[in-house]
Amino acid sequence: MRAKLSASGLQKLVLLGILVGISLVFSFTTRGFLSIPNWSNILRLSSFVVVTGAGVTLLMIARNIDLSVGSTLALTHVLFAIFCRAGVPVAPAILMTLAAGALIGFLNGVLVVRLRITPFIATLGTLYMLRGFTLIITGAKSVRENLPKAFSLLGRGSLGPLPVPMLVILVVLVLFILLERKSLLGKYAIAIGGNPLAAELSGINVKRIVWGLFIIVGILAGLSGVLIASWMGVAEPNIGSGFEFDVIIAVVLGGTSLAGGEGSVLGMLIGALIVEVIGNGLNQMNVLSFYQSVLKGVILVLAVLLDQNLKVRLRRAAAGEAVSRERA
Amino acid sequence: MNEKLLEIQGLSKFFPGVVALKDVSFDIYRNTVHCIVGENGAGKSTLIKILTGALRRNAGRILYDGKEFSPHSTRDAMNAGMSVLFQELNVVDQLSVEQNLTLGLENSTFGFERKSTRTGQVLEVLRSLDPTIAPQQRVGELSVAQKQVIEITKAISSDSSIIVMDEPTAALSEEEVERLFAIVKNLRHQNVTVIYITHRLAEIFRIGDFVTVLRDGQIIGTRAVSELAGSCASEVESCAELIRMMLGKVVAERYVPSPVDRSQRVLELNHVNSAKLRDVGLELYKGEILGVYGLIGSGKTEIARAIYGLDEVEGEIRVHGRRRRLDNPAAAIASGIAMVPEERRTEGLCTKLSIRENIPVMNMKAIARLGITSRRREKGLARGFIEKVRIVARDEEQKVALLSGGNQQKVVFAKCLNARSAILLLDEPTRGIDVGAKEEIHNIVRELSRGGTSVIVFSSELPEILNLCDRIILLYQGRVKQVLANGSDIDSEKIMHVVTGAGEAGNAS
Repeated sequence: MRAKLSASGLQKLVLLGILVGISLVFSFTTRGFLSIPNWSNILRLSSFVVVTGAGVTLLMIARNIDLSVGSTLALTHVLFAIFCRAGVPVAPAILMTLAAGALIGFLNGVLVVRLRITPFIATLGTLYMLRGFTLIITGAKSVRENLPKAFSLLGRGSLGPLPVPMLVILVVLVLFILLERKSLLGKYAIAIGGNPLAAELSGINVKRIVWGLFIIVGILAGLSGVLIASWMGVAEPNIGSGFEFDVIIAVVLGGTSLAGGEGSVLGMLIGALIVEVIGNGLNQMNVLSFYQSVLKGVILVLAVLLDQNLKVRLRRAAAGEAVSRERA
Repeated sequence: MNEKLLEIQGLSKFFPGVVALKDVSFDIYRNTVHCIVGENGAGKSTLIKILTGALRRNAGRILYDGKEFSPHSTRDAMNAGMSVLFQELNVVDQLSVEQNLTLGLENSTFGFERKSTRTGQVLEVLRSLDPTIAPQQRVGELSVAQKQVIEITKAISSDSSIIVMDEPTAALSEEEVERLFAIVKNLRHQNVTVIYITHRLAEIFRIGDFVTVLRDGQIIGTRAVSELAGSCASEVESCAELIRMMLGKVVAERYVPSPVDRSQRVLELNHVNSAKLRDVGLELYKGEILGVYGLIGSGKTEIARAIYGLDEVEGEIRVHGRRRRLDNPAAAIASGIAMVPEERRTEGLCTKLSIRENIPVMNMKAIARLGITSRRREKGLARGFIEKVRIVARDEEQKVALLSGGNQQKVVFAKCLNARSAILLLDEPTRGIDVGAKEEIHNIVRELSRGGTSVIVFSSELPEILNLCDRIILLYQGRVKQVLANGSDIDSEKIMHVVTGAGEAGNAS
């Protein structure tokens, strides 16, 4: 057990090393990179990915996937603004928006669990449906008029020295790290992803768990939508296209297997930061966005490659250790 | 001992066009080990699937503890106290031993697991079965045998009164089999009845109290093992009475020398080394059937993989006298080598394709002209092989997934024969195949050697090696320990001595 702990711990250390390494490179090449405002910017921009990613990590551990989170974010994002514009006080408006996210997750669950459509295809379908729906209800125009002052509270306010969004992220992270490591939900997600039949035969209600995870992801995507709207002070129907891939990249970088059975919320956080730091650093270096896109892709592939190689080596080392223990 | 736990009465199951079970009746007594044997297709799996709720019966009834029993799902059957030890083990590799044992049975507060006295009891059961398994170990690090122990532990501690074991020893080494049998024998003291399905007749005599023989969906008979053992004396491996019951005819398995041409050395390995192999050398002659025998983990499969270009090895491989670099199977096939792999479903066949589509893949030239395949030729080829190796199927369009194990293996053979290779590697060619199909496959091998093909049989079943091979290489921990010529004077006890490394306890790690 000690060997295993250190193996997964080492892996996260390696990931952290990659993050620090990239940051070091940027801190030498760009002046403002290490400044506090820049880092608070990085944290804020990655927070939307982190909040949604926390749920998606659990979902992917359970060998499922949700491609619709970007569209869910967009729809809940404009819904929040529409609710507020219609005069609903901010707190109930947030709850209503999260409920809408939950409903979307529920519907994804219907497609995947009840109608047995492959998650990849089912949520690709909802990706298009929800995006279209968002454009329809907004007429493809941004929602900016008649928004109350409190609209921006969640995104821009601060509680003492701590910005409110940081607080939200902290709560979500702590909750989901606990869920992943200590709760039955986390354990069942691993069991379902690792061996679905064994999970089923052990009396786990696999359908209910997966369905629940989709709902959780929907709620978190809704929360991300609210955070973005509140931060921007305006709702844009085109927001969040490609968001699903940012989330999946963060989750996979963080060590979650696409085949299910293993993964880590903490790793996802580091993964999300790596993605954001690369974008931020390249921006600071005034790299043209075309080149940025190429570079970002290359760096990500390299990071995953490095992580994979290390994982294989660590496993071999652990296996070798087990064998020598047995011989001894 | 004489209290009936399970009464099966007039059980029948029909599939479209097939009678899988016909009026099957027998009783299983409490706290016994009840073996069920029969050829593939005899109805064993159907019977088990009905007992465990995976299939519904068409007629008859089952009384469990005197009460009507008709489970609607495997879970349902488990709740009623009937656990199954599946061949594909139902454990979660990514969780720890303890997490696996409590999976689905946790006590929780607000969704968080709470340790309970139950956990302690479960771990106590585990300790009594195998004290070497640590509760915090990841199950993925355990061997197949240890995973079985985890499943048995789970079954016992969920108060199962019946555990069904479906060929549990298929992937175990001799040593592990011993341990499993010790556990099985002790289960009666835990108030557990075992239904034990097997192909290996010897096992029945080692652990069984009763044996029921099925053939063509019907009960041939149920006997007390003690009564059978008396009539078979020492020759339990080929207990004539049991085989007669299973097959309806006596199969005499005997070694026939092949026409070996000693002047033509078709394959030669010199000083082959790898992670698992230590300085392995061997030679194979034209028309010879060479046996490679050793326990699981002795390096049999590794030798086969090295020759077939699947693993990188150091050393020299010569084919027809010429040195070859075989670093992928395509190169091996081009050099005239074909392999029947160990796992026919995952390595040997595309199970979703038909017999017709599976056969030509190793040599597409047989059905193509100028790179365009002809369906007509493919059909002809498939029909030819169905006849030649006697594949029992509806027609050549049948999906191989629907064939029995023996017939699937014959499709793999057909595939290799179509490659017209001079050298054939057979890795566990009859694993999990019933006695009748086994004999048929052995006859195919003998026929091939008469036609001049050289064959290497890698097997962990000694009777198979002794019935088939001209020379036998004995492996132990990746080393060639001895090469024997087969004959009437061969001493199987001595062979076991060599492959278990009994003679060298001193220098084994």
